[in-house]
Amino acid sequence: MTTPTTIEQLFGARTAVVVPDVVAPALAAEIRERLERAGYTRYALLDRGSYDVLVEPEEPALFATLIELAARTTGRSLAIAEARALRLSPGDYLLAHHDRIHGDHPVELVLDLSPAAVPGAEVHYRRRGQVYFRVPCAPGSLGIVERGPTVACNHTYVSKRNPGAIVVRLVLLLRDA
Amino acid sequence: MWRLGPAWSDEDRLARTWRAALPFPHLVFDDFAPAAALPELLAILEEELVERYEGDIFAFDASAPEPATAELRALRESFAAVLAPPLSRIAGRRLRRADMRAYAYRPGHYLLPHSDHQQDLGRAVAYAYYLPSPDPPSGGELELFACRSEGDELVSTDSARMIEPAPNRLVVFEVSTRSLHQVREVLDGLRISLAGWFYP
Repeated sequence: MTTPTTIEQLFGARTAVVVPDVVAPALAAEIRERLERAGYTRYALLDRGSYDVLVEPEEPALFATLIELAARTTGRSLAIAEARALRLSPGDYLLAHHDRIHGDHPVELVLDLSPAAVPGAEVHYRRRGQVYFRVPCAPGSLGIVERGPTVACNHTYVSKRNPGAIVVRLVLLLRDA
Repeated sequence: MWRLGPAWSDEDRLARTWRAALPFPHLVFDDFAPAAALPELLAILEEELVERYEGDIFAFDASAPEPATAELRALRESFAAVLAPPLSRIAGRRLRRADMRAYAYRPGHYLLPHSDHQQDLGRAVAYAYYLPSPDPPSGGELELFACRSEGDELVSTDSARMIEPAPNRLVVFEVSTRSLHQVREVLDGLRISLAGWFYP
């Protein structure tokens, strides 16, 4: 028997997975269109991020499906606390120090609604600055990450060498129900 | 290696230009090093190893913070010895030493907006010196931003000046909480520079 060497090991390993093909391309296109109609707002305090955001999008049926999947994956009973849709174009990014630290171990879901994969456009989860989990740009996939108090997240820079690229992510924060 | 040209002769004028520069104090000097010195300069850099650095705000190749070769260390010391005295008078801040790293930005490399200011590091003036590139870059401009605050709250960051990485060009700027700048993504070619900070 090995002895746990970190506090995290004492509490058990936390979930960090990417589930592929959660949303089909046709449904993703419908959702993108509804988000578009609801209207994004441009965020441009450039020392923190550059992106389009839609706060509290209304997708109750989709949210219910995602929460159920997250609950099964983590073994926790979860409810939605926050939701936002992000849209990144070439030149856009969200930096780690723009992220909020959560001390209560919420579960973060990142649903990739992008029309096509964009090379290098990833979501990075970091502990004390070091990347420990990457969510690649894979349309239809769902990242499920149980966050801890030392975890920060950034959305990597989308290269201008991908002209016309669009990254759309639905980000949900779930807490214990 | 480093010799100040006639552009540095009128320090009072340079100090006025520095203070009046927007969005924050800075100066740009073209033809900074004597043309005859450039081959030797490039030869020094050829000996210096660079490796990839990647974080949430940057992706580039760079030499180690402390130069590996005695030649680059000597280049750094002579750079500080020649530049620190006039820059101190121009910027109105006592500058004594400088660090120096070599940077190679290849296609897809960038440095996103940040201020360089960190209370405990003592960076006073930043510099970037652009070297002739065998494959001149597209992109890679130094972009300066104007920051506007309401109280302690930052409310806007707007592009205010774009400086191309022209060969043999030196850019110096004041480091403060408001010196927001970035290196725009290199789309093609190779951008080679020496860069660092002057310290009190």
